[in-house]
Amino acid sequence: MDEFNDTEIAKLLRLKRYEQPAPGYFEDFLHEFHRRQRNELLRQPLWRICLERARNLVLQLNLSTLTSSPVAVTAVVVCAAVLSLKIYQTPQPAAVALKERPVLAVPASTDEEWTLASPVATRVFSTRSLRNMTESAQTHRTGTPPRYVLDSVPVSYETTFKF
Amino acid sequence: MAGIAVMVGAASLFAQQPQEPTTISREVKEVFERCSKAVVKINATDQHGDLSGTGFFVDPMGTLYTAYSVGGEADKITVEFKGKKYAARQLMADLRSGIALLQVDLASPALPIGSSSQVEVATPVVTIGYPLDLSETPSFGMIAGFDRKCMGGYFPTTHLRVNLPPQRGEGGAPLLNLKGEVIGILLYSFENNSCYALPIEAAEKLRSDYVRFGEPRYGWIGTNVQEAAAPIEGSRAVTTKVMKDTPAAEAGLKPGDVVLQIGRTKVHEPEDILEASFFLTAGDAVPITVARAGEKITFQIQADSYPDGRLPASASLNRAMPLNLQSVPEGRP
Repeated sequence: MDEFNDTEIAKLLRLKRYEQPAPGYFEDFLHEFHRRQRNELLRQPLWRICLERARNLVLQLNLSTLTSSPVAVTAVVVCAAVLSLKIYQTPQPAAVALKERPVLAVPASTDEEWTLASPVATRVFSTRSLRNMTESAQTHRTGTPPRYVLDSVPVSYETTFKF
Repeated sequence: MAGIAVMVGAASLFAQQPQEPTTISREVKEVFERCSKAVVKINATDQHGDLSGTGFFVDPMGTLYTAYSVGGEADKITVEFKGKKYAARQLMADLRSGIALLQVDLASPALPIGSSSQVEVATPVVTIGYPLDLSETPSFGMIAGFDRKCMGGYFPTTHLRVNLPPQRGEGGAPLLNLKGEVIGILLYSFENNSCYALPIEAAEKLRSDYVRFGEPRYGWIGTNVQEAAAPIEGSRAVTTKVMKDTPAAEAGLKPGDVVLQIGRTKVHEPEDILEASFFLTAGDAVPITVARAGEKITFQIQADSYPDGRLPASASLNRAMPLNLQSVPEGRP
């Protein structure tokens, strides 16, 4: 911050007034916004995404009213039963995850943006998302017209009367 | 008989009047038909994405001019010519003047080079460009002025202000007189239905530099000039500083000398210095006439290249300063 004094900041701010977005910026704004939003979301670890979604679900369902109802009790019992069944069917879940880790390290390392915490979920989740994102980006790029060039503001680089 | 002659004369006058616009229209059409073959659409990619502009051939070996903002910092440059796309390579790009020189490996038509010094205000002109994703399009207008500065900032050399409606995608288009000769290169749109073009002489100076040296070679002699309180020998451009170990110092120029002429350019005010200095070439000798103590002295000064970082539009300087900002970073020469 010490690099700039008030005068220089004022000059920079004046320069900012002449900045114009590239052609097509506003047309693409919503698309770009959604793309970045998805991108940002997928950078979070999977457990955090799941936790956040579960919390949102609970808030939407208003859990306090459900605790007293028999429906909630039934749901909890069913979930517990399903989970216990799954645990019995997969004897060594931790080993499976570890075995898959090296395989999953390849796609994860090729694109750091898609690294997720859980290796099992990473493969399924990131592969699908990556493909979708790439396709949508390509579709978007081919549909986007190029910048049609004609500078709108003349610029000066001349230091006056020195030669 | 006299009455008949008067009537015939009047009839012929009336008959000629409607032909005026028809004549101009025909001339514009002829220019368009003759010149559009040498005007091409340029596609390229730069750090911001795909871009599209206009260029035109100036020799039969596929050399073409375009705007710096089209071909100056882009790669994967392609030229659309006769319905086919050809890869183009950049020969030279000059941010100071705002143009780039490209080349395509093909035998091409070429536009004849004219002279911007022969046009006057209100001279009709034509430009041919590729607006948006449309086909080649003529625009008709007239020279509106010859400007050295705009909104407080100076152009590197006098620019042609043209009253014609420019459109996006026409950056780098040729500005043509009604003979079909190039007199400028369209660079900037300006306000409504107006634009600026670099005079073709300035572009040709750079092409000449490229042919001789492989790059632009702006000349520098190492002096500062200011406006004098009163004119001496018709000039107000007084030398205020002569830098040490520069061509000016070695030739004997001194502070207080009033600059009267640089090469062929007569100097009347400091702004004339910009015009003259743009055309200096490093390594070439130029006669500079000054007034000193009541007498005129002419020095033959061999211009040098600009020292690192002192060339206007060099990489170390602000590369996007709008003309209406008069702020000059401290430490600039």
